[in-house]
Amino acid sequence: MAYFDISRVNALTLFIFFCIVVILFIEKARADRNLYIRRIAGLNAIDEAVGRATELGKKVLYIPGIMSIDENQTIASLAVLAHVARMTARYATDLDVPNKDPLTFASARETVKEAYTLEGRPDLYQESMVHYVTYDQFAFTAAVSGIMVRERPAANFLIGSFYAESLLLAETGQASGAIQIAGTAEVAQLPFFVCACDYTLIGEELYAAGAYLSRQPAMLGSIKGQDWTKAAVGAAIILGVLLESLHLFPGFKAFFSIQ
Amino acid sequence: MFLRLRLPLLLTLLAGLVPVVAFFFKDEARAVKAPASWLEQDMIIVAGFALLLGVVNVVQSNMKKIERRDKGWFFAVVLLGGMAVTGLVGALGAFRIGGLPGIGNYPDGRPTPFAWCANYLFTPLQATMFSLLAFYIASAAFRAFRVRNVAATILLVAAVVVMLGRIPVGEGVFGRFTEWLMQIPNGAAQRGIIIGAALGAASLSLRVILGIERSYLGLDKGE
Amino acid sequence: MAKGIAKLQTIDRRWIFLLIALGTLIPIVLPIGFPVTITPPVKSIYDLIETFGPGDVVILSYDYGPTTGAENDPMADAILRHCFSRDVKVVALALYPLGGLTSLSNSLNRVTAEFPELEYGVDYVNLGYKDGGQASMKLLADDFAKAFPGDTNGRPLAEIPLMQQIKGAREAKLAVSIATGIIGEWWANLINAQFGLPVAVGCTAVSAPKYYAYLEAKQMIGLIGGLKGASEYERMVKEGYPATREAYANPLLQTASKGMDAQTIDHLIVIAFIVIGNIAYFASRRGKGQA
Repeated sequence: MAYFDISRVNALTLFIFFCIVVILFIEKARADRNLYIRRIAGLNAIDEAVGRATELGKKVLYIPGIMSIDENQTIASLAVLAHVARMTARYATDLDVPNKDPLTFASARETVKEAYTLEGRPDLYQESMVHYVTYDQFAFTAAVSGIMVRERPAANFLIGSFYAESLLLAETGQASGAIQIAGTAEVAQLPFFVCACDYTLIGEELYAAGAYLSRQPAMLGSIKGQDWTKAAVGAAIILGVLLESLHLFPGFKAFFSIQ
Repeated sequence: MFLRLRLPLLLTLLAGLVPVVAFFFKDEARAVKAPASWLEQDMIIVAGFALLLGVVNVVQSNMKKIERRDKGWFFAVVLLGGMAVTGLVGALGAFRIGGLPGIGNYPDGRPTPFAWCANYLFTPLQATMFSLLAFYIASAAFRAFRVRNVAATILLVAAVVVMLGRIPVGEGVFGRFTEWLMQIPNGAAQRGIIIGAALGAASLSLRVILGIERSYLGLDKGE
Repeated sequence: MAKGIAKLQTIDRRWIFLLIALGTLIPIVLPIGFPVTITPPVKSIYDLIETFGPGDVVILSYDYGPTTGAENDPMADAILRHCFSRDVKVVALALYPLGGLTSLSNSLNRVTAEFPELEYGVDYVNLGYKDGGQASMKLLADDFAKAFPGDTNGRPLAEIPLMQQIKGAREAKLAVSIATGIIGEWWANLINAQFGLPVAVGCTAVSAPKYYAYLEAKQMIGLIGGLKGASEYERMVKEGYPATREAYANPLLQTASKGMDAQTIDHLIVIAFIVIGNIAYFASRRGKGQA
C-alpha cells in the first residue's frame, strides 16, 4: 500500500465504477437480448453504400485510418471493415483496402480474409484487395487520391484515425462522385468530414459501430455501460458546478484534482 | 486453436492489464512499473519490425505490376527505384559508411545524400500535398456552408465569424467575440466530444482486454 | 435572372482554386503589412519567458514536419530568438520523425546564425529525434539520458555541459511543444499533468480549437494557434528585442507576418464565395417557389 499512488484514487474510483457498470450490463445483455441502441444514420447507410457500388459495378474503397493497431480507432475501424467485407463478399462487389500502417495492414488482411470465409465466398477473396501503400502520411494520401480519381469507386469509407489528410481524401472522394461514410474520434478532423461526406460517425459512434453492426449482446451491453458512465460523469459535472458556485463542500472539487 | 485464439487473447489480457495496474502505483513499485515499461519498449521494437512487413508487400505488389505490365507499371518502377536509392543512402548514413556523419548534415553544413533527398525531394512534395488543403477548404466551404437548416446556419455564422476574427480586417469587430467563441462554446463542445470519445475508447479497450472484441485478430465472432 | 444567379451554385471549383492561388501569391510578392493584434493565449507564453533569466532552461520540442513548416517554423524560430535574447538555455529535441531530421536542425541553424556568441553544448543542445512517443516522453521527464543516450551527433550527454545542469525535463522551467497532430496533447496530458512542468503548445490553426479545452483547464499556460499566433509572437519579440528586427527584415526569410497577408486575402475570398453560394441557393429556392 505504501507504493500505491494516492493522488490517483479518483481515477481508480472511476475505473472501478466503469468496469462494474459495463460488466453488469454485459451480463444483463446476455440475459435480455433486446437491448435498445438509438439509430446511427452513418452505420445504417453502409448497406446503401455497398448496394450502390454493386449496382454500378464499381468498387468499394475502405480506408481504415492512418494510425497503427495500437490506436483504438483503428480497432473500431477493423470491426466495421469486417461488416463491410462480409457485404462485399455477399454481393461479389470489389473491395479495395489501402493501408498506411504495416501492422494495420496485417490485421486488415486477416479481417477481410476471415469475412469472406465466413460468408462462404473464399474464392472471391484476393490478396491484392488489402495492400500496403507507404508509411508516409501525404504519400499515402496522394496514392489513395489517385485511386479515387482513376478508378472512381462508388463508395468510400473513411473510418478510423485521420489527421491533415482527412479533407484531401474526403474532398477528392466527393469530387469523384462517390457516396462517402466517414467516422473518426479526431475532434479536429470532424468538421472536414461533416462538410465533405454524406454521413459521419462522430467520436463514440465510431467505437460503438462494432457493437451496433454485430448486435452481439456482450458488445451492446458494453455500450449501455459506457452510456451510464457518461451519465454519471455528466451528473458529477453538474453537481460540481452547483457546489462550486455555492461555495459548498470543497472536498468534492479536491477529489477530482489532478496532482 | 491455442495459437490462433487462446494465446493472442491471453497476451492481450496481460498486455492490457499490466499498464493499467502500473498507472496506479508510484515509480518506486519496480515490480509493477518494470513490466509496464518493458511492454512500452517492446511496442517500439515490434513496430520497427512491422515496417519490414510493409516494405516487403510494397516490393511484391509493385514487382507483380511491372511483370504483368499493368496500367501505370512505369510508376511502379519509379517507386521501387526511389525506395531503393533512399533506402541505400539512408542505410549508408545510419551505419556511417564512407565517411558519412549520419543521416543529417556534415559538420560544415553540407547535406549528406539522405538529407539532400529529404530537403530537396521529399520536403517540397510533402509541402505541396499539404498546401492542397487551402484550395480544398475553399471549395468545401463554398459547397457546405449554405443556410439549409438551423444547424447549417449556425455552422455558417460561426465559420464566418471565426474567419473574420482571425484576420486583421475583422479583428477589430469580431476579435473578442472570436476568442470567446473559441474558448467557451468551442471549448465546451470539444470537452464533450473528448469525454464521450474517451469513454468510448475505454469501453472498446475493456472489450478488447476481456476478449469480447476480436475483430483485430481477424475473428468475426466475439463470443 | 434568378436562374442565372442560381447557376452560381455549381460554379466550377477550378475558379475557386484559381482565385485562392492568386490570393496567396500576390500578397507574398507584394506584401501589404496588415497590423497584428496580440491575444492573451500567446501573450501568456511571452510573459512567462520574460520572467526567465540566464541559466534557466526551456525545452523546445519540434513535433512537426515539413508539411506544417509554414505555420510552425515561425513559431519555433520566434521562441528560439526570444530565449536566446534573454540568455535562456534551450534543450531542443523532436518526438516527430521528420521534426528531428529537418525542422529542428534547419530552425537551429537559421536562428543560431543570428547569435554568433552562442556556444553549442553550453547555451543550447540538439538532442535529435526519439521514437516511442509517450513512452519516450515519460523517460525523458526523469532523465534525458534514458531517452537520448547522446545528442544528434552521438556525443554522450555526460560530455555536454548544458546537460549537467538539467537531468530530466521536469527540472526545466517550461516545455514548449511546436506540434502538428496529437503530440502537443501528450505534453499537456503527460508532462504537465503528471510532473507539473508548465507546458505551452504552438500548433497549426486546424488543431487550435481542441487545445483551448486544455488551456481552459490550465493544463497549458499558453497557446500559439496557427500563423496568426506565430505573427503575434513575432511582433512581441520584434518590439521587445530590437536586435531581432534585422533578421525579420531579411526579404528571404518567410515570416508569419508575411504569411498573414496571404491568409487575410484568402479568408476574404472564401467568405465572398460563401456569400455568393448562399445568394445562388436562395435564388434557386425562389425559382422553385415561383415554378
